[in-house]
Order: sequence, then structure tokens, then C-alpha cells
Amino acid sequence: MEVEAGEELTTGWCVYGVVPAHTGRVPNDLTGIDDAPLDLVVHGDIAAVVGEMQLERPPGRRADLMAYSKVVDALADAGPVVPVRFGSVLPDADSIVEAVLAPDEPLFVDLLDQLVGRRQFIVRAAYHDEVALTEIVRSDPGVAALRAHTRDLPEDAAYADRVRLGELVARAMEAKVEVDAEILADAIVPFTAAHRVTLGSGADNLVTVAVLVDDDRREEFEEQLEGLAEAVHERIRLQLIGPSAPYDFVGEA
Amino acid sequence: MSIQPTQRRAGGGYLERPAPSGLADVIEIILDKGIVIDAYVRVSLVGIELLTIDARIVIASVDTYLRFAEATNRLDLLEQGGGKPLDEFIGNMQESGAGRKVKGAVSGAKKAITGGGSDDDEDDDDSSRRRPAKKSSSRRRSEA
Repeated sequence: MEVEAGEELTTGWCVYGVVPAHTGRVPNDLTGIDDAPLDLVVHGDIAAVVGEMQLERPPGRRADLMAYSKVVDALADAGPVVPVRFGSVLPDADSIVEAVLAPDEPLFVDLLDQLVGRRQFIVRAAYHDEVALTEIVRSDPGVAALRAHTRDLPEDAAYADRVRLGELVARAMEAKVEVDAEILADAIVPFTAAHRVTLGSGADNLVTVAVLVDDDRREEFEEQLEGLAEAVHERIRLQLIGPSAPYDFVGEA
Repeated sequence: MSIQPTQRRAGGGYLERPAPSGLADVIEIILDKGIVIDAYVRVSLVGIELLTIDARIVIASVDTYLRFAEATNRLDLLEQGGGKPLDEFIGNMQESGAGRKVKGAVSGAKKAITGGGSDDDEDDDDSSRRRPAKKSSSRRRSEA
């Protein structure tokens, strides 16, 4: 349903995240989108972190995204936070209580409980250039034969064979990614409190694993990743990003 | 302080720890993440959704097949090192749990702490929200 913002409404309240009410403070020097000071809208045990935002301007600038990211990560540095999806704006404090906090208070309380003392990291794995393709050609006689047949022919010749070659390679890549992603995930997951695996295409991304790590296991987790990165470095490069706010572990209201 | 700056640990050094300072990194980390509320206005990023779509290669298409074929034919196999299976590398690790094959770890990923759906499901749900990048520029709507 399309709703036109009436002329009387030129500002709204951007909701950044939900925190436990008892933490009670937003860092003083922290400002949000439009450099707006941040405020808390409290309801029972939880509070929404909000900032005023102009509505009559082009939305979704780069600066807005960076400001949002800065606020949510700063909140996560200070304690548990449930990030609210970027760009969620409500007209006033009452509507934040009525539409956001009150209906799902138990859910927020439960989520915040589970996020205490835990931070999110993202582990990203990618094959080094051509490693996966080379392995596929070496291990699959069908691929090798089609490759030998098509590689010295002109572009417009053997079209069907080239499509067939590509299809075989794509399938082999998919299978390879599944196997390697599972092995990598198995090495990581025992050190985490929760995880989400997103398989890549193999071409420039093997797998992305978002993990939630207990603070008191963080060192152990990072050491494990160091060891893993070293063990696989001939084929795969591993990146560890974070800690960040638990964007991947809050589900949907 | 928010996301911590790049820090390479003294030992090893194989693990890359980039600081996600660029827009692309931040987008990957936060776009379409976080809890969805019934917002009065939802600000979308102008034009940026397209980037995330482009990053997803559609495996099953003739174009993709031809790209794979071309990349395969470009390979110079003589220059490439041998391809040991990944679990052999991992088998060298002494860590508990490291080389162990745990069945269903990938499907276990579907269990986020919320018990929410799998990533695949989420992607499906997201496609409708990602697609209208043009519309989103000044879209105002209630998500009723």
C-alpha cells in the first residue's frame, strides 16, 4: 500500500536498533544520520535507539548507510543490540512503542538475552585464481576431453560443445563448493555459538560464514581461523571480518 | 570505536583481517540485514541493490556456461600447482573438531539462534525487495 507522506510530516524517527532498557544510555558523542543526536524510546525492559531524520531529501545516500553502520556497531561495542534494518523510519515515539516495541517485546528480550557477551564475525573464503577450475579439469576426464576439443577452435565453432563444457564445469564447481564449504564450516562451527552459511558460486566466492562468537572463546576462535587459513592457503584465501553488530542473527520480527 | 581496524596477528599471517571501511564492504555486511519492523517510511539506497544482484552469478544459464567454458579453455595447466583435496590440508591440523567430518554442518547453518529459515529461504524472500532498485529511490510506503 502506497502512503504519501503528508506535507505536515517532514521529519521522522529513524530506528537503529533495540537495546536493553537498563543499559539506559547512548554514547554521548554518537550521532546518527544527518548528524542527529540519538535518543532512547523506552518500553518496559527494552528501548529503541532513534534519531531524527529529514524526510524531504534524497534518501539512501552513502553517508546515511555509513552513519547507520557506525551507530549500530557502536551500540554493539557497548552491549547487546538487535539491529533494525537500515532506513526504518517511524513518525513519532508513540508509533515506535506501538508498532515496534510493544508487539514484540518478548522476542526482543529473548534475542537480547542470547546476544549478551557475543559478537558477530564474518568468515569469507575464496579460491585463489583458477585453482578450482584447474582441479576440475584435472579430475574430470569429460571436462578435459571437451576442453581439448574446443580450446583451439574459433569462437563460433563447436558452440554446443562449449555450452556443454561450461555446464559440466558449472556443475562440478557447485559440487566442489559444497564439499569445501562443508569442510571449512566444520572447522569453524565448533568454536561458535551460532552460524549461517551462504554458499558462493566458486568463481570469486567459495563460502561466507557469519558466526556469533562468545567473547570468552574469541581468542580460541581467532587462533583456529589462523590455523585454518594456514592449512588451506595454497588453494583458498580466508578473510575474517569483524567484530560487528549481529546483523545475521536477529531474524525477522 | 566501531569495527576494528586491520590487524594481522604476529603468527601465521595467512588470515586476512580487512577493515570494512569501504562502501561495498559495509553494504555486504548490513544491507537487507537486521530485524524488519513495520516502518512508516523505508529508506532504500539509491541504485545500490543492483550491485548486490550483480554479485550473484546465476549458475544455470547459457551465458554462465560459456563464461565457464572460456575460463576453462584459457587455463594454462602447466603453471598450476597440484590440487590436493581440502580435507588433506585440514587433516594436518591438530585442532579438535577441525578435520572431522560432521554431517549436516551446512544444513545446520539454517538454525540461526532465532531458529529462523535457511539462507536460501531468505534469499528467496529478499528477491522481491531487492529487485525494484529504481522504484526505491524515493519510495514511501507502509509495509502493511
